[in-house]
Amino acid sequence: MHGPSFMKSLFHGVVAEGTIFPYPEPTQSEGDNLHIMMDSVRKFFAANVDSRKIDRDAVLPDDVLRGLKELGLFGLVVPQEYGGVGLSATGYARLIEEVATLDASVAVTLGGHQSIGLKALLLFGTDEQKKKYLPRLATGEHVAAFALTEPGAGSDAAAIQTRAEETPEGDYLLNGSKIWITNGGLADVLTVFARTSSIEEGMKPRITAFLVERAWGVKSGPNEHKLGIRGSSTTEVSFDNVRVPKENVLGEVGRGFKVAMEVLNSGRLGLASGCVGSCKRLIKMAVERCHERKAFGRPIGEFGLIKDKIASMIAECFALESMTYLTTGLVDAKIEDYSIESAICKVYGSEALWRTVNDALQIAAGIGYMQEYPYERLLRDARINLIFEGTNEILRCFIALSGMQGPGKELVEVAKAIREPIKGFGLLSDFAIRKARSALGRERMTRAHPALSRESVILEQYAGDLARSVDKVMRKHGNQIHEMQFTQRRIADMAIDLYAVAACVARTTRAIERRGEEGARREIDLTSVVAAAAEERMKQIAQSFDRNDDELRKAIASKSYADGGYPFDIL
Amino acid sequence: MKILVPLKRVSDPDNANKIKVGAGKVETTGLEWKPNPFDEYAVETALRLTENGTNAKARLGEVTVVTFGPKETETTLRAALATGADKAIRVDTTDDAIDGDLLARALKALVEREKPDLVLLGKQQVDGDANQVAQLLAEYLGWPQATFAGQITSEADKALLVSREVDGGSIKLRVTLPAVVSVDLRIVNAVGVTSMHTPPTHKYSDGVRFAALMAIMAAKKKSLTEVKLTDLSPDTALKIKYTGFDLPPARKAGVKIKTVAELVQKLKTEAKVL
Repeated sequence: MHGPSFMKSLFHGVVAEGTIFPYPEPTQSEGDNLHIMMDSVRKFFAANVDSRKIDRDAVLPDDVLRGLKELGLFGLVVPQEYGGVGLSATGYARLIEEVATLDASVAVTLGGHQSIGLKALLLFGTDEQKKKYLPRLATGEHVAAFALTEPGAGSDAAAIQTRAEETPEGDYLLNGSKIWITNGGLADVLTVFARTSSIEEGMKPRITAFLVERAWGVKSGPNEHKLGIRGSSTTEVSFDNVRVPKENVLGEVGRGFKVAMEVLNSGRLGLASGCVGSCKRLIKMAVERCHERKAFGRPIGEFGLIKDKIASMIAECFALESMTYLTTGLVDAKIEDYSIESAICKVYGSEALWRTVNDALQIAAGIGYMQEYPYERLLRDARINLIFEGTNEILRCFIALSGMQGPGKELVEVAKAIREPIKGFGLLSDFAIRKARSALGRERMTRAHPALSRESVILEQYAGDLARSVDKVMRKHGNQIHEMQFTQRRIADMAIDLYAVAACVARTTRAIERRGEEGARREIDLTSVVAAAAEERMKQIAQSFDRNDDELRKAIASKSYADGGYPFDIL
Repeated sequence: MKILVPLKRVSDPDNANKIKVGAGKVETTGLEWKPNPFDEYAVETALRLTENGTNAKARLGEVTVVTFGPKETETTLRAALATGADKAIRVDTTDDAIDGDLLARALKALVEREKPDLVLLGKQQVDGDANQVAQLLAEYLGWPQATFAGQITSEADKALLVSREVDGGSIKLRVTLPAVVSVDLRIVNAVGVTSMHTPPTHKYSDGVRFAALMAIMAAKKKSLTEVKLTDLSPDTALKIKYTGFDLPPARKAGVKIKTVAELVQKLKTEAKVL
């Protein structure tokens, strides 16, 4: 499927309906296979995986790892010709959802291996590279890891210090270290990003991706002691004159940014679907608690404030699920650019899960706080999602700036813009012109079911508001927009809500077409709740572009930095 | 050895609270389906009898699974193929068009066509719990039968020594093949099945095996054929007629009793058991 992404079009006020209607779904055959696979997975976990023990011991026992490999869970995305299961993006996301329902440490280990670890090989590898590495990665005989982050370089990939110096023979010598590498202690094969140009100031950073075998001298540190996902292995990984043959460059020399960004775009979808799974588990636990726990002579589920929490959990999970599987459906339809969509799924998913786990623990109240019950572990496990694979803060900047920059621009340009204010936004004026052309009249949703007309109007109206707001802030701030993080957040938050509403409307339209309005009543109700909450937020945001206390807040922060903390005391 | 295993999907017993009774029938839309657990034990038993447990990938016999149901029930067959069964047959019909007797008559025709040495069944389905197909089938075929097997030892694939679970213990029967055997839970214990192919030192893990995900994909290539019910049994008349369905009455709230005297009083006057 060609054409611009749904969200990038929406930034121009255009509702690209053809992209999201009809709401995608797996084929009957893949759906059947997934049912059988999930049944196998559930049976394996029930018999072998003790999440409480894994959390306490902070390690996945060898027999569990071996069982996961024998089950085939390490080869989900590897094509069948290389010995893998060959799932679609949707199938993979759904299976990871199931695994995340069962154990977050296992889900993160599997994600580190195939959402990101071996993904660059899949996307950019040559046939020879794939033939050599994929079969053993598919069975889990080899485990993969993705090594991008460094002490001085997180989302700011241009600051990478790990060097790859070319030898006279054309091979590379790797030197440097990476931190917080998922599967760092397990990995046999690592996708490593290193600088292949001089480190001197002023030189354009050229980053290259390499496929590196541990056997060539890669060292990893001890497992980090983490708040959550404690069974997953997170370590430092270091390279001291590790010789990498030139055949192991992934993609083109100097194009490592593109490799990293593509991998992360797709990896974020596995993270989002994992959040769907965790939310579903917590909802089930909370609903059971609503029946069991009695207060004032009634089950607590009968109280309004509990019902309100449950309704929010269900609505947010529905929105997240709708967005995530709309996006994986777009990936399976071979749409080229889904970077904003996947970033939105990651941000919304991790925050929806955080609210859900917080509310589930609150409903459980006293027992929620006790280690005898799983709530506290689920809360700790959930927290990482707001941080890894791009913090939600940097992703909000990315969503806004990338959307404003128009089609085809990646986080790398955004990062560049943040680093190099002057040069970064040459394309902005172009945007303003195109925007002006479509400023008259808003685009309409024509394929949404009439039962969803109120929700469609919200989408149309605020899509127009988003485009107008973008236009306004670009005219006002011009190239300084890269410094306006408060504004970026407003734009990103509108974009997130708009994608949520669009995904729910598309999915519910399909449900109505299948089962009629009565049959799809619950989806209609949920879409209505999702859209109403989105409208409420967007209304506030739209006003705050002009009326806000951004400058005051910045000043307070700056003064506190000078003070070194909180300046007052009542004494 | 050639083994035929009839199996069936049932509504997930863990979600029994979702079952609704509509106009004169059980409402099945929206139910989640699972293979009947006792049928899964039968498949596991059949696989153990036709393999060397130390190298389960090489098949040393043939296991055919058959189900009676609409197209969607093929998922149940595919799952069995993925765990190792060799081929599958779906007899096209619906749940309300069959009963135990018609099923036994149709299976008899299928046995005559497929010529297995053994028919292995779950002792009962956890939805209807009728527990009659194995017995009827053995009678119609004129074959020996052993029901509720908790342990099976194959004697050179000519006869089976079957330990049957009965009230207060177990009894052993030797059945000469061909035969019909229905299995109980304990058959999938580590030592439930002893076959001539597997060294006696080998220990299975308790329970049924689950399919590796690659095998699930590969199972698509295994043979799955469709047969019409009328081809097996032209007479599709049912012996069981349902006149109505009702959910069990909701349980009444209990009462707390303060003294033994009060308890005795209530057992006499209300429960009327004393």
